[in-house]
Amino acid sequence: NFSMSNLQNDPLLQVETTCGSLLYELQIIWDEVGESDAERDKMLLELEQECLEVYRRRVDQANRCRAQIRQAIAEAEAELAAICSAMGERPVHIRQSDQSPGSLKAELKTILPQLEEMRKRKCDRRNQFLEVFEQIQRIRSEIYTSTEYTPSNTAVDETDLSLRKLEELHRELHSLQKEKSDRLKQVLEHMNTLNSLCLVLGMDFKQTVNEVHPSLGESEGTKNISNDTIEQLAAAIQKWREVKLQRMQRLQDLATSMLELWNLMDTPVAEQQMFQNVTCNIAASEHEITEPNMLSVDFINYVEAEVSRLEELKASKMIELVLKKRSELEEICRKTHMIPESESAMEIAIAAIESGAVDPASVLEQIELQIAKVKEEALSRKEILEKVEKWMSSCEEECWLEEYNRDENRYNAGRGAHLILKRAEKARAMVNKLPALVEALASRTTAWEEERGIEFTYDGIRLLSMLEEYTILRQEKEEERKRQRDQKKLQGQIIAEQEALFGSKPSPMKNQSGKKGSRLSCGGASNRRLSLGGPMVQTPKPDILPSTKATPNARHVRKNDRLHQNDQLNHPRDDGVAALSAGRRGLDIAGLPAKKHSFNAVNAREAESAMMRKPFSPISSTDSSKSNATTILEDLNRKHEMLQKTLTNITTPLTTPSKVTSAADEENRTPKTMAIPLPSTPSTVSVAMQTAMTPAAPPVLYGAHPVEEIDEEIEYSFEERRAGFVLPKTHLKTMLQV
Amino acid sequence: IRIGDRKYHDGGTTGRWAGAREPPSDGISNLRFSNHSDHLLVSSWDKSVRLYDASANLLRGEFMHGGPVLDCCFHDDSSGFSASADNTVRRLVFNYGREDILGRHDAPVRCIEYSYATGQVITGSWDKTLKCWDPRGANGPDRSLVGTYTQPERVYSLSLVGNRLVVATAGRHVNVYDLRNMSQPEQRRESSLKYQTRCVRCYPNGTGYALSSVEGRVAMEFFDVSEAGQAKKYAFKCHRKSEAGRDIVYPVNAIAFHPIYGTFATGGCDGYVNVWDGNNKKRLYQYSKYPTSVAALSFSRDGRLLAVASSYTYEEGDKPHEPDGIFVRSVNEVEVKPKPKAYPNPTT
Repeated sequence: NFSMSNLQNDPLLQVETTCGSLLYELQIIWDEVGESDAERDKMLLELEQECLEVYRRRVDQANRCRAQIRQAIAEAEAELAAICSAMGERPVHIRQSDQSPGSLKAELKTILPQLEEMRKRKCDRRNQFLEVFEQIQRIRSEIYTSTEYTPSNTAVDETDLSLRKLEELHRELHSLQKEKSDRLKQVLEHMNTLNSLCLVLGMDFKQTVNEVHPSLGESEGTKNISNDTIEQLAAAIQKWREVKLQRMQRLQDLATSMLELWNLMDTPVAEQQMFQNVTCNIAASEHEITEPNMLSVDFINYVEAEVSRLEELKASKMIELVLKKRSELEEICRKTHMIPESESAMEIAIAAIESGAVDPASVLEQIELQIAKVKEEALSRKEILEKVEKWMSSCEEECWLEEYNRDENRYNAGRGAHLILKRAEKARAMVNKLPALVEALASRTTAWEEERGIEFTYDGIRLLSMLEEYTILRQEKEEERKRQRDQKKLQGQIIAEQEALFGSKPSPMKNQSGKKGSRLSCGGASNRRLSLGGPMVQTPKPDILPSTKATPNARHVRKNDRLHQNDQLNHPRDDGVAALSAGRRGLDIAGLPAKKHSFNAVNAREAESAMMRKPFSPISSTDSSKSNATTILEDLNRKHEMLQKTLTNITTPLTTPSKVTSAADEENRTPKTMAIPLPSTPSTVSVAMQTAMTPAAPPVLYGAHPVEEIDEEIEYSFEERRAGFVLPKTHLKTMLQV
Repeated sequence: IRIGDRKYHDGGTTGRWAGAREPPSDGISNLRFSNHSDHLLVSSWDKSVRLYDASANLLRGEFMHGGPVLDCCFHDDSSGFSASADNTVRRLVFNYGREDILGRHDAPVRCIEYSYATGQVITGSWDKTLKCWDPRGANGPDRSLVGTYTQPERVYSLSLVGNRLVVATAGRHVNVYDLRNMSQPEQRRESSLKYQTRCVRCYPNGTGYALSSVEGRVAMEFFDVSEAGQAKKYAFKCHRKSEAGRDIVYPVNAIAFHPIYGTFATGGCDGYVNVWDGNNKKRLYQYSKYPTSVAALSFSRDGRLLAVASSYTYEEGDKPHEPDGIFVRSVNEVEVKPKPKAYPNPTT
């Protein structure tokens, strides 16, 4: 049992036992079978050999296994070493064979975890590398476009995973990152520049940028920062800057012409204000123009349109200017009594300007040239013209004197008679000097004509012929006067004869009563003077005067006694006297401009010539040898006589008072055609005062209430009304008593 | 300058318009330039007298009265006088803002003048009297009153030149006094114009006076009573408008003589100011229309400025009207200088 238990415990012992028993069994079998010993030996050898074979195989196997383990250890060690070297680390494990812990398996067991550990670390390191590398790659790919990018360092170099290398990579990454940010900054800068350019030029920034690179237009996301993009951006900037410069030049040119035009045409400030932003940039440099759309095509077109509008305006203004200059020329001609170039030439010139065939400036220049020429000629004519003026005024005075001499009542004393006498005296002196004046004028004119080889014309008529005519006329008049004198002498003889017959000598003065005659002639004289200015409209004047106002005072009574009591009684007007004298004065004043006018504007007012004296105009063929002036004077005289006649006709059956009234009325009548209306606009042209009496239509009193006043009996001023001031009863009574 | 309005006028040659604060809040009764500076004294229906510096465009002082102020005048540059509807005559001292009552009338005081010749203040009132005051004896009304002179009617306008005083009253009376003998008028006249007198102003040369009426007319009168002297007088129409064949005639509220040229400006209810040359009987200039009636006019001492009170004068009673304003304009010589006659007139 004991051995059995031993056997059972040790399999080898068991196997040995089993082998012995099996051999025994075999011996028994063999005995039974009767095998020969040879056979038995052969079989036992075979068995032995078989056993050996099995052992040999096992040893080989074990041997192979050992070798394998050894190799594994060596490999692991080699790998470990490689990893360590790659990671730039001192090998952790150096095998010391004598120190080896024992079996190969144990050795392997210790080395494997180390390897594992190192492998893990290497993997980590590699990942780190990869990460950095990836970043580098990414940035590289961003910076360099794919085409120029060479994938040289695509893979991580497994042999060098040292920290130093990692650091190196990190440095590279940093520098790349810096470059990237630099580039980004540059791109953004470019984009900013481009944006401001686009703003000023009025272009779509997004579109411009998209053309360079689509990524730039997006507000989010990374921007392309490749060399290509930067170059393109720079190129775009360059391009638009050039455009900007061009446009700026254009705008500044426009602004310059605009300023010139404004200046030329005095364009109102309000109108200028709209383009102030244009003109203020006239001297700005490129970078100073930053206002959005300042250089956009639309804006430039807008400014261009304004400039062309101004140009057009200028063209029309030029015509205006030309016309103005033309009228200036005419004015000078008129003043110097020369005949300007014909109107049609001017119209042709203007038409030419309008059609654009001629530069208005050149026309203007021509006119200015003409003006200068005319001015020069005017200067040479001045002396003669002054003499002509003097001659003409002398002639006028001569005419007046003639007329005055014909007035038989001229020596009757009346108000202002001394002045008329003085005038007559002056006129006589002037007339005496006339022939000498004419002669001097003629010789002067002749000298002038000889010097210049042209005729001296006065309003288109040769002055010499005018003078000649005048001389002839004068001679005729002289003869006429002589004839009259003879006739008078004859008459005197007849009267003397009659006196001899009847013994009485009727004085021509006694034909009319002194006072009455004087007044009438006075009225007539003023009428005559009046009618020189134009036809007189005589409208009956309604009596607008409140009868209650009739309060003649002492002064009036005194005057009335002396002169025209009845007039005052019939027309209880407080300012009658003043008005009478004022009226006459007013007529004088009113008459003056008209007279002057007839001198200056002979050509202008043909219509008025019927009534107006037209001095020294050519004698029309239908006229007799007498000048217009005398004709008109005669005409006037006829009229005057008629007036006198009618007055006498009317007055004869009536009493004296009404006669005087009508005469006074005559004087106070408003000469409608001569009244110079007050211009509503302020003017520096002085205007004659309206000293004439109340106009034909009853005036409307503004604010004053004359009717009310009469009703109330007491007048109040505006201030009294406003202050509510009422005269106390006592005052009223005393006033009424007074 | 338009006092009270910051409106600028771009009308080129006609003068400058600027503005100051605080114009009178009611109608302007009169305004006068000082004889020593460009100070402007303005009396108003808003019961105030205001002193402006026209060149600096400043309100210098203000005095409030018990009633509307109908007239004011300067004493010297530092004091003045006012005539009020509360019957008082006051003396105003600008520097101290002090005022004292010189005396009283029995009715509103319409006009006031200070005579440099006599050193007296002369007031005219609707109580039909003229009073002379001595402002130096301003201790009490009894001591300052020099004399009271009865007038035929309520006094409407006064004007002084040298020792001559012209008093225009209701009823178209005109009395001419010699200040040295006020016991009775030197001349008693009736207005040459047949309607109520609005304003009377003496010629600066002392030979006569201009008188305007409510019926758009001004009479030019002469003191010289000789026939030759009176022959010179005349009247002329002005401040009229022809509308639909009818003449609208406006009252002529104000006359102001130019201190240097002797030409004069008239202001009417038509809102126009005309400048006339009385010797040559010419109108020299018409200023563009003012917003409402021209109530008062005054040339500055050198005639370079013209103050115009554009203020409704109640000619049509209480009715809505344009705001009252004071315009101070610079005067161009061409507007006021007499023009020699263009043509020698042998009859004058």
